Amino acid sequence: MKESQRTQREERTQRERPVRVFARVFLIFVSFVSLVVIQTSSQLAAARNGVIRGRVEIRRVMPQVERRPGVTDLGAPAARDVDDRLRSVVYLESAPRRAFEVDEGGRKVMDQRNETFVPHLLAIMTGTTVDFPNSDKFYHNVFSLSKPARFDLGRYSAGRSRSIRFDRPGIVRVFCDIHSHMSAFILVFGHPYFAVTDSQGRYHIDNVPPGSYAVIAWNEGNASEPKPVMVPDGGAAELDFALR
Amino acid sequence: MRVGFVALRLAPMLVVASAVGARAQTLPSEPITLAQGRVTVSGDVSATVGSRDPGFFDYTDYEHSALRLLRIDVSAVAKAGPHFSLLGEVRSENIDSLRAYALYARIRPWTRRDFDIQVGLIPPTFGAFARRAYANDNPLIGYPLAYQYLTSLRPDALPASADELLQKRSLGWLVRYSVGTPGADRGVPLVSAFRWDTGVQVHAKAGIVSGTAAVTAGTVSNPLFSDDNGGRQIAGRLEVRPVAGLIAGASFARGRFLSDSAVRSALGDAAATDQDFAQTAWGADVEYSRAYYLVRLESIASAWRIPRIRAPAINESLRALSTSVEGRYKIIPGLYAALRVEHLGFSDLVGSMATLPWDAPVTRVEVGTGYSIQRNLLLKVAYQHNTRDGGVLRRVENLGAGQLVFWF
Repeated sequence: MKESQRTQREERTQRERPVRVFARVFLIFVSFVSLVVIQTSSQLAAARNGVIRGRVEIRRVMPQVERRPGVTDLGAPAARDVDDRLRSVVYLESAPRRAFEVDEGGRKVMDQRNETFVPHLLAIMTGTTVDFPNSDKFYHNVFSLSKPARFDLGRYSAGRSRSIRFDRPGIVRVFCDIHSHMSAFILVFGHPYFAVTDSQGRYHIDNVPPGSYAVIAWNEGNASEPKPVMVPDGGAAELDFALR
Repeated sequence: MRVGFVALRLAPMLVVASAVGARAQTLPSEPITLAQGRVTVSGDVSATVGSRDPGFFDYTDYEHSALRLLRIDVSAVAKAGPHFSLLGEVRSENIDSLRAYALYARIRPWTRRDFDIQVGLIPPTFGAFARRAYANDNPLIGYPLAYQYLTSLRPDALPASADELLQKRSLGWLVRYSVGTPGADRGVPLVSAFRWDTGVQVHAKAGIVSGTAAVTAGTVSNPLFSDDNGGRQIAGRLEVRPVAGLIAGASFARGRFLSDSAVRSALGDAAATDQDFAQTAWGADVEYSRAYYLVRLESIASAWRIPRIRAPAINESLRALSTSVEGRYKIIPGLYAALRVEHLGFSDLVGSMATLPWDAPVTRVEVGTGYSIQRNLLLKVAYQHNTRDGGVLRRVENLGAGQLVFWF
């Protein structure tokens, strides 16, 4: 009886041996992979992001968009504000992988004031909702026929606002259906590495992981050729543009 | 560190592709500015192809149908400081000769006040539609009857009797009378949308109310560059905008209609030509818009007084009343549907054989749609059902038309 029990135990031990070997090998593999991942992560964390900064110079004459001659008007039209058309957008042509995991989903405002969109140029990330309040005493009708966002917000009066969420990257031209001289640009990016220039044409794109990139400057439908730039670890790269 | 996978490059590349697309739009989309912004030029081109119109429902004269028309407009404004501007528009229809449609000086004596004086070939004071000059301001292809349909009245020729006028019912596109200018020519609409009058106009605005008054050479049905009867038309318009989206207007005009030569032909050379053979017109219009719809209503009443020449005489003023209701609804971005229903009726005239409206009443229903291929390139398609109650021409006509409109 005892002999038969011993035989059965030995047989079971022999059957389970490959399983145990496999389990040990698996544990070693998992430990190795974990070590590699931890090491890589710590290396990643150690790399400090940098900045791309510079200036965009507009070298062409930028005439203001005037009203269509109101020959049918019974009197002169009211004075209106003028667009700030000298601002540009600077952005990375292609961006690091982690950039596309960001889903900002914030809100921005493009006001309608004195028959002008303010700001005239807005740069946002996909998922951003833009509010279009009407700050004039009369109707406006915001619309766009651009492929990334085709919309028409209808006519609405002073103090009211309508919104649109931009989910596709691209250039969106915005107009008013009532005032043909009103226009604006919204540039929608799939990554956060872009900046709008200030009134002096200066820009800085923050928090860029170290590496080599191609950078583009864009103004009123004109884009520069991509310019290469190397962002050092924790440092700043300088890059100027001249748009004709 | 940096990943070059195609999928990850897709999003920024879309941005670049769109930028290229934006530059590829070669047609101008904004007015052209010259001389540091002091001169602005814009254009409007509309090409219309439509059915044959043997009933002459849509003719604006013997040669031009509003449904078969290539119209090119170029308008410009030159500003000489804050007080003075010069505005003009030239127009060509079917590539014939260029014609000045508007040419006037705008003077603003006080820059801080909404008060303007306009002198020259000035915009119409009367009514609402005539100032919707650009083709994209008209949601349909046809014009409202009051502004386009040619009645059988002429300023330079006259029917000798009520019978002669009744014989000419529906022939306003080319009509001939026994008194006055002997040749055949077109009649006049209630209010002309195709020519502007010459004179002086004063416009003022205070809050929600604006008012305009004008003295011109012609009348609303027969605007003139140079006067042909020594009379002047007085026109006025009052407009109220009580809330955003609502515009209500009332208009009045009265001016000597018949030319001196026509009056002399009718009453003899010894007759005083300053007798008041005038056109008097009243108009009321309302526009309301909100969100995706827009509704317009306009009604115009006109009366012409002409000399009594022979029996059966035309004793009463010849009156006409037009009512038009127009609506537009945006279905999706870039696509709208529109409808206009209108009627043009005429007062009764007693002839020797019958009492009839002095011209054949017309009813028109026009339905259409517009699609924006791009922001300033619009394709319109419309269908029109016209009925005419009497007259010698075709009484019922269904017309189709397509129109491409480009503007900058």
